Amino acid sequence: MSIQPPYLRKGDTIGIVCPSGYLPLEDTNACVQQLQEWGFRVRIGVTVGNKYHGFAGTDEERCADLQQMLDDPSIHAILCGRGGYGMSRIIDRLDFRSFRKSPKWIIGFSDITLLHAHLFSRLHISSFHASMARAFADKNSPNIKTLHSALTGKISRYQCLPHQLNRRGEAVGPLIGGNLSLLAHITGTQTALPKVGAILFLEDVGEYLYNIERMFIQLKRSGLFSNLTGLVVGGFTETKDSKIPFGATVEELISAQVEEFSFPVCFGFPVSHADSNVALKHGAMHRLRVTGRSVLFEELK
Amino acid sequence: MMLLRVIYFASSPAGGRCTKVQKQHGRLVCEEFVVKSYFYFMKRSIFFKQLLLTGGAIASGQELMAAPFSSKPKKWLVPPSLKSGDAIGITCPSGFALQEDIAPAVQYLEKWGLRVVVGKTVGKKDHTFGGTDEERAADFQSMVANSELKAILCARGGYGAVRIIDKIDFSPLRRNPKWVIGYSDITVFHCHLHALVGMASIHAKMTEGFPSDPAVFEPTQLQALDTLRQALLGEKLTYSVPPNPRNRPGEVSGILIGGNLKILETLAGTPSDIDTRDKIFFVEDVGEALYSIDRMFCNLKRSGKLSQLKALIVGSFTNIRPDDPEEPFGRSIYDIVWEQVKEYDYPVCFDFCVGHQKNNVALKCGVQHRLQVSSEATTLTIVGS
Repeated sequence: MSIQPPYLRKGDTIGIVCPSGYLPLEDTNACVQQLQEWGFRVRIGVTVGNKYHGFAGTDEERCADLQQMLDDPSIHAILCGRGGYGMSRIIDRLDFRSFRKSPKWIIGFSDITLLHAHLFSRLHISSFHASMARAFADKNSPNIKTLHSALTGKISRYQCLPHQLNRRGEAVGPLIGGNLSLLAHITGTQTALPKVGAILFLEDVGEYLYNIERMFIQLKRSGLFSNLTGLVVGGFTETKDSKIPFGATVEELISAQVEEFSFPVCFGFPVSHADSNVALKHGAMHRLRVTGRSVLFEELK
Repeated sequence: MMLLRVIYFASSPAGGRCTKVQKQHGRLVCEEFVVKSYFYFMKRSIFFKQLLLTGGAIASGQELMAAPFSSKPKKWLVPPSLKSGDAIGITCPSGFALQEDIAPAVQYLEKWGLRVVVGKTVGKKDHTFGGTDEERAADFQSMVANSELKAILCARGGYGAVRIIDKIDFSPLRRNPKWVIGYSDITVFHCHLHALVGMASIHAKMTEGFPSDPAVFEPTQLQALDTLRQALLGEKLTYSVPPNPRNRPGEVSGILIGGNLKILETLAGTPSDIDTRDKIFFVEDVGEALYSIDRMFCNLKRSGKLSQLKALIVGSFTNIRPDDPEEPFGRSIYDIVWEQVKEYDYPVCFDFCVGHQKNNVALKCGVQHRLQVSSEATTLTIVGS
């Protein structure tokens, strides 16, 4: 069981930082407004709007900004403005000693998967896999509502439509996962997800089908699946195929790869780089129930 | 809690599981190690002994990750060189190759005095693969088991080796070692043979490197192809490339190992992952974006593959995928590499003749080499057989 940082109350402050890719300052307007409407104060980090090639600043700048937010006791949660690429370059420079003593919620996905994995495998601290700044542009987005619920301590309970390739069953375990490319990228490093009896969730964007399979096989061969209790497959959007078709969809290739195991599997869960991306509490205990008619995925108290 | 975490770590990289942990001299030591079924070719006793030899000690996650990987079978094998009349097999463990695709290779190999055994997967096609997983694994397996064959040439790269690698029983190679040849996706085999079988192999051109008409090939291509002949026949190999201003000079000797960077990343943390300590390590890739190359170099560094090298050889990175014009990556391949190796002092050389390019010479992985990087040239010379 991982440590759950304190939930937010009105008046608490959320810091926005860009530890990876560049995000124009104006792209945070809707986000800031919404967070304030929810009753939070917002502090904008120096990396927001800052640009160094594709990054939101040099490694030193991004690292310092995130470090400052991690250490500042007046910041109660950290929302990563954007994913992109860059977390791998700074993760080993971050000092989590102060954060470990007084943990706070860290929010993000995609490239931020690396940070979630690090927090769980090295520090046993929970964090939120959820939409980032740009997602707030749609005021009625259900994703944003789930993030608000999550930040204020409501227990999540998600349902999704049955999928013909789902494998029935019930699983209980800490929820771990995120972006498949990042999870493959950290395999074999000190940030790698531990091989525990967890429920794993995956999503990715813009990858070739064969590469999705190759990364999936890497996770499998690293032993990550041998103790899994459940698998939640989110959206694999904008997938690419080679000139000669790969011959299987993402769902089919994953199904084939997990045939040798017996844990329940659900496809089409609303976590992705597209419209559906609900807030998930990484590291927290969850229960997955997959039947022929429904999929229920809920956090356990 | 501490004990539990250690078990988590211990159960990770090589697929084995530490079932008993004891504190000795302030360090946590794995007392009992259960090896999973895919280590069928590696006797549990050997594995355990090696775990002890390598310290077996679990002081930190880093150290533990290194421990199971540093295990090696007892005797390192270098297959014998081929002689006139020896047989070489051609098989497709990854992408498909048609009979006409391999015809020039057959012609050349015969001209070199070798007998060619064409595998059942040549001409087979299952989507992008050279047959189904079962067909490709069976074909490779039959070549592994066939003691008449002195070498196995993989017809093509592409994708597919990792789908079959765990289905193959490599143990016959311990009795009858033979050269496995290929690159790109075949890096899976080089790493697997290096990490688990303990046998040298040849990183070289595949059937696409043999011309149907020598006149259409450039001299560079023909020279690169001839290095494969020299490697197979056991001739002494020396490669020289012009110096690059970004090189870091030095002279070292060590075992050569490496291959395709993407494959190296996707083998990290798996049983086929290689231990690069004290090695001359080479990398190459094709069709990747600069940010992705940078991320893969982060993986090499973070998985401990750059810290204790004898030397780093950077081959070609061809067809680099263009950046988003809004967000150019802003660093060259030279900058990317330098950033990761600047804190070390081993020699580094760029633009070496290995990669998805015309000048892709035969390199014997798992064999001792000498590398000289100077302001005049970069020279790699084979020391072992």
